[in-house]
Amino acid sequence: MSVEVRGLTKAFGPVSAVTDLSFEVGDGTVTGFLGPNGAGKTTTMRMMLGLIAPNSGTATIDGRRYADLPRPSATVGAVLDGSGFHPDHTALHHLRVYARMGRYGNARATQVAELTGVSSFADRATRTLSTGMRQRLSLATALLGDPRVLLLDEPSNGLDPEGIAWLRTFLRDLAAEGRTILVSSHVLSEIGQTADHVVVIRQGRLVATGPTSELSGAAAVLVRSPQADQLRSHLRVPADVLGPDTLRIHGMTTAEVATAAAAHGIALYEITLERPTLEQAFLNLIGDDQ
Amino acid sequence: MIASSAIAAEWTRLIGTRLWCWALLAALGSGAFTGLLALVGPENFTPPMPGLDTAQGVHVLLGLLGFTMFIPALLGTAAVTTEYRHRTITTTALFAPQRSTWLVAKLVTYTGGGLAYGLIASTVAAGALFGAAALKDVTLGLPAGTVVALLARIALAMALYTLLGAAAGAILRNQVTALVAVGAYLYMIETLLMLMPGVKAVYPYLPGGATAALTGFTYLADAIADQTGTSATALLSAPLGAAVLLGYALIAAAIAVAAPLRRDIT
Repeated sequence: MSVEVRGLTKAFGPVSAVTDLSFEVGDGTVTGFLGPNGAGKTTTMRMMLGLIAPNSGTATIDGRRYADLPRPSATVGAVLDGSGFHPDHTALHHLRVYARMGRYGNARATQVAELTGVSSFADRATRTLSTGMRQRLSLATALLGDPRVLLLDEPSNGLDPEGIAWLRTFLRDLAAEGRTILVSSHVLSEIGQTADHVVVIRQGRLVATGPTSELSGAAAVLVRSPQADQLRSHLRVPADVLGPDTLRIHGMTTAEVATAAAAHGIALYEITLERPTLEQAFLNLIGDDQ
Repeated sequence: MIASSAIAAEWTRLIGTRLWCWALLAALGSGAFTGLLALVGPENFTPPMPGLDTAQGVHVLLGLLGFTMFIPALLGTAAVTTEYRHRTITTTALFAPQRSTWLVAKLVTYTGGGLAYGLIASTVAAGALFGAAALKDVTLGLPAGTVVALLARIALAMALYTLLGAAAGAILRNQVTALVAVGAYLYMIETLLMLMPGVKAVYPYLPGGATAALTGFTYLADAIADQTGTSATALLSAPLGAAVLLGYALIAAAIAVAAPLRRDIT
């Protein structure tokens, strides 16, 4: 089931939140939806779910608008930043309310509670839950209808490292089941390892989209040598001088650099392959803002 | 079928909160309070009022129960606005994108809750009233059938007030604003309106006037007539009062259902 966003535009009064945004989330892929805070990620996701009416443009899931889906919550599950729970309700009671609304039954509520680890605090009032527990409960709610598409808005917000690690594994498992997942974040560390594709937006406009590997660009070679200057003059490509004895070389492999050094009798103290992280690519893309 | 699952969900939502415990307490309490007043006897009030053995005395007591009508109205308002206050509205809208579905389900659920509230309060009041009369060995100034009918009318009015309160909550959404607005209207605004010359003529058609017609409690209208030295406005008949009140509730519900359809949930 693929998700398509075409020319989505929304302004709140004079402030334009999203402008002519188009992208696609391929069937069965995990797509990272990236952008700094305030870039319009939440507004976009809420428009995809029919919670906010766009000024123009469309968002379709499997060819239909969210509200036109035969059983929306059985097709798309969403975890949205800023959704809450009634403080009196226990975690399980919250799930039961929505299990009833979606006609999934109490047994399904118990099932998703077990799946997400909510069962360990099922009988606690939601007012007493930690951020991590609330995030799990949100995920459990989204999974009630066993949806093929998941839209997750900043699901790792406020989670501790343990929670982030759990979420990463959990998302990977969901993806392995062939679900289509769009997960937004302003922090890349948890997306870079999970997402096949990325969509990057800034100030409500598309900045980049494509496979994660392409976005991050080619690797470079980092060398440390007492004769760094000499080595530099023997290379067939330009190199960045990072320090008196350190170079970053683009467009050569480690083997080529080592061979060139040996041919000229240059000693190397250190030679490493430097893979550009998505984080760097992301910061380069949105650099103007931060 | 979809509507029934939405109503079932709203009912599940309601019973998971402490609101219904407070509602039950309030219903029992207001009924019992009427009983307590019956035991004391209207003739011992300050200022003294006609005793239980007069028709007027029984009317006064039942009217005081009617005076607690604002409680179910505010409970209805609180029940609806809690969804906005605790931001569960997002999840609800995701599970039922046709927003009229869950709003109608809410209004139906809370009207049912309001009717239950009214029946509990009336039943307790009836028991207490007849009990107090038996204890004090007086014959009530109204036949038992009339008393029961009046109490049933109060219960019905309470259900309609809950609907009105719930609809007002759905329109205003902010819990505090909505509670203040509903409370202020019921307590002050209509009373103040009645002091304006001319408004008195339409009083029978205002919510308060229609309520007075439905519950048979005309104390307020009479008191104002006394103070302004004019004759009391003739109220509508009870069924007509009920119809007017139902009309207000339905109009409020229609606005409540129509308004949020065009609103963004951010």
